[in-house]
Amino acid sequence: MPLFRESGIVEDPWQRLADDTPVPADGMVLVSFARWREARAALLARRGPIGVALANTDPVEALASDTSRLDLITLHFPKFSDGRAYSQARLLRERLGYQGELRATGNVLQDQAPFMLRCGFDAFESEQKGFGEALTRARTLFSVVYQPTEDGRGTASLLRLKHTSPVIRGRWPGGPEGESPSRSVRSD
Amino acid sequence: MPDTHFYRYDDYDRTLVAERVEQFRDQVRRRLSGELTEEQFKPLRLTNGLYLQLHAYMLRIAIPYGTLSSRQLRKLADIARKFDRGYGHFTTRQNLQLNWIKLEDAPDALAALAEVDMHAMQTSGNVIRNVTADHFAGAAIDEIEDPRIWCEIVRQWSTLHPEFSFLPRKFKIAITGSPNDRAAVRVHDIGLRLWRNETGEVGFEVIVGGGLGRTPMIGKTLREFLPKDELLAYLEATLRVYNRYGRRDNLYKARIKILVHEVGAEKMREEVEAEYADIKDGALKLPAETIEAIARQFAPPALPHRPAVVATVEALKLEDRDFALWLKSNVSAHRLAGYRIVTASLKPAGAPPGDASSVQMEGVADIADAYSQGEIRVSHEQNLVLPHVAVEDLPVVWLALGRLGFAEANVGKITDIIACPGLDYCALANARSIPVAQRISNHFARIGLQHDIGDLKIKISGCINACGHHHVGHIGILGVDKNGVELYQISLGGDVDFGKTALGTILGPAVTADKVVEAVDALVATYLDARGEGERFVDTYRRIGVKPFKDRVYAVV
Amino acid sequence: MAKNLAGDLLVASANRLTDGVVVFLDDAGEWIQRLDRAAVARDKRAGEILLERAKAEAFTVVDPYLVAVSEDDDGVLEPLSLREKIRVSGLTFDAIAADAVRYA
Repeated sequence: MPLFRESGIVEDPWQRLADDTPVPADGMVLVSFARWREARAALLARRGPIGVALANTDPVEALASDTSRLDLITLHFPKFSDGRAYSQARLLRERLGYQGELRATGNVLQDQAPFMLRCGFDAFESEQKGFGEALTRARTLFSVVYQPTEDGRGTASLLRLKHTSPVIRGRWPGGPEGESPSRSVRSD
Repeated sequence: MPDTHFYRYDDYDRTLVAERVEQFRDQVRRRLSGELTEEQFKPLRLTNGLYLQLHAYMLRIAIPYGTLSSRQLRKLADIARKFDRGYGHFTTRQNLQLNWIKLEDAPDALAALAEVDMHAMQTSGNVIRNVTADHFAGAAIDEIEDPRIWCEIVRQWSTLHPEFSFLPRKFKIAITGSPNDRAAVRVHDIGLRLWRNETGEVGFEVIVGGGLGRTPMIGKTLREFLPKDELLAYLEATLRVYNRYGRRDNLYKARIKILVHEVGAEKMREEVEAEYADIKDGALKLPAETIEAIARQFAPPALPHRPAVVATVEALKLEDRDFALWLKSNVSAHRLAGYRIVTASLKPAGAPPGDASSVQMEGVADIADAYSQGEIRVSHEQNLVLPHVAVEDLPVVWLALGRLGFAEANVGKITDIIACPGLDYCALANARSIPVAQRISNHFARIGLQHDIGDLKIKISGCINACGHHHVGHIGILGVDKNGVELYQISLGGDVDFGKTALGTILGPAVTADKVVEAVDALVATYLDARGEGERFVDTYRRIGVKPFKDRVYAVV
Repeated sequence: MAKNLAGDLLVASANRLTDGVVVFLDDAGEWIQRLDRAAVARDKRAGEILLERAKAEAFTVVDPYLVAVSEDDDGVLEPLSLREKIRVSGLTFDAIAADAVRYA
């Protein structure tokens, strides 16, 4: 399954460990949540980065005391329309302070990438044709956002308080790059 | 943009709408080329208001808090003409539906809407929908605070929310600023009621888990009093709990009302309050300046003093019975003595309820410009409202509305029927509702009779999804399908006035389409025979119970 | 969409992708607006084949499915269910036309 970051397609160095396979002494291993709960001490004791794969029904709170020890957490979209992982992502980033790789797996499609980025995902497994290319554009698809998330973008209401005008990057139909849109949208 | 007395888009708002239009244009292109499957595309078009109905696509245009400028209404008329068949339907959620839109035209229609700061974002799909308000907001005599300020604040917070764009199911929020709840807050996923506590502070009662449809429920108060600046944090907490724990295994059990019902209000409150406690002092806390900047835009127009009593109006009232009846039913008190709130009835006898042609929309826009500060409201009873009409201007407004066919003196009366589009349009329906509404409307057309019968709300839904709000009709009519035959189940005693939110009681076995009028006739006759002094239909029903009505109806059907 | 398919005549129907218009599959595998030109399956097995064909040709339509119809002595087809009748024939009342304003 191709793995993408905003910079482009990347190799996946992580080794998915089946639940009944013994934990290797070192190397980057990704274990299921069940395995993590069962073998947490052993996993933490070994050398080598640890990743945990959560189902979208697993409680992120269970990782609260260990977020600084994990280098990868994967969150799952069984269908793209099942949005539970968005909440899991935000809680991991914003409440539990997780700073490692946060990877989206499952039915990952380009039209949801802008939302996923805002919720804190920074890596994506996707089979969709054109996903990688769309991902490079996803963060700037919307130059204005209304809601604060961990991505640190200034919301419209914050920017209004600072009396800043929005900077539009070439989104205006027919408009030159970076020009501020005081005219309305033309319908061609 | 000419001066309006409600929120004006700034460049931020305009940019966001424009970018969403361009994103959608690209999504349509990729759908038409086959790059996107229907399954992948469907939520993308639903969150831009595009439904597929029986005959065509339908575009549901958002009218935030039911408030329009005359310029916007004219643009809607224009879009209906250019992209549709020259008419539209105003809905029970204060939106406008155009029934014959082409997918390939939708991006251009949305771009046209964007020209007047309108859109169709999130009017469908499993997202937070259009936040509805009291259609008399900003003008009503009993208002504590204008709820539309908060509708706008919630609108922005909920638009393209990255965490809540794939909820278990749709999410509907309503806000009332008055103790007389004209926004039906207790039957919404979240209802918010502004009120003033003992110390004089204004805050929100937060009601969660109400709803109609398959399993109608009245919402539970999760929080009696919430400080205003903490609203978004509380909403975010509630939505997060819902997004995490709402059922996703069964389409019919996926609303938040089911979650509240299954875990209990107490547990729900605990979860929400815990989440809220963690975030309330964070980035969602609303700075006073932000609230004021928005509130200022809803400041009521500086209405020039106009006389409260006008001789010519008084004279006309005596001379012209039609005018007098229209004053009684279609005209309501305004916070200023020299003004009134006028409801334009979109229920002319025998017409499809809530529909307006492009010509009619333009006519209303003209009247609004001349006599109502250029402002129009959409009520969730499928009528239009002119919120600031001087008493002196009532005769000329009555005549002008009459020329459009919108001066039927039936607001709140038996022919002011709320009906969903039903099986004529809707792929979800089991039965038709518009022809039923038309037959009832024709049967009771005589205005004098209607005023004698008094306040009586008939609400018709073509299926259990209850878009016609039949559960809360004084007379509710639900279309069902039995072996391919349309049948109508009648219920009595539903209501949505605050403090009296009640779901109707089913009368008995469903009746055939041709018997509905007779059944309603029998219900009305029962009431007229039994009513006490000053009793409305629903009051008599509450006093004497369902049996007299049931006996009379089933004697004739 | 529960349908009693046994013994019914069946046609394949869908909504056209570009404009939502109701269409039927004809014998040539094209989507056409006229019900009387639709390909008719005369038993359950033929219906299954017809639906497979419709799905294979679904590039320009949304969600094809089978509709039960009746055929009179003149060969005129009519859908059995009220929903499908309305889908074919349109609104059962007069919608407001653009010129529906009544002037006093």
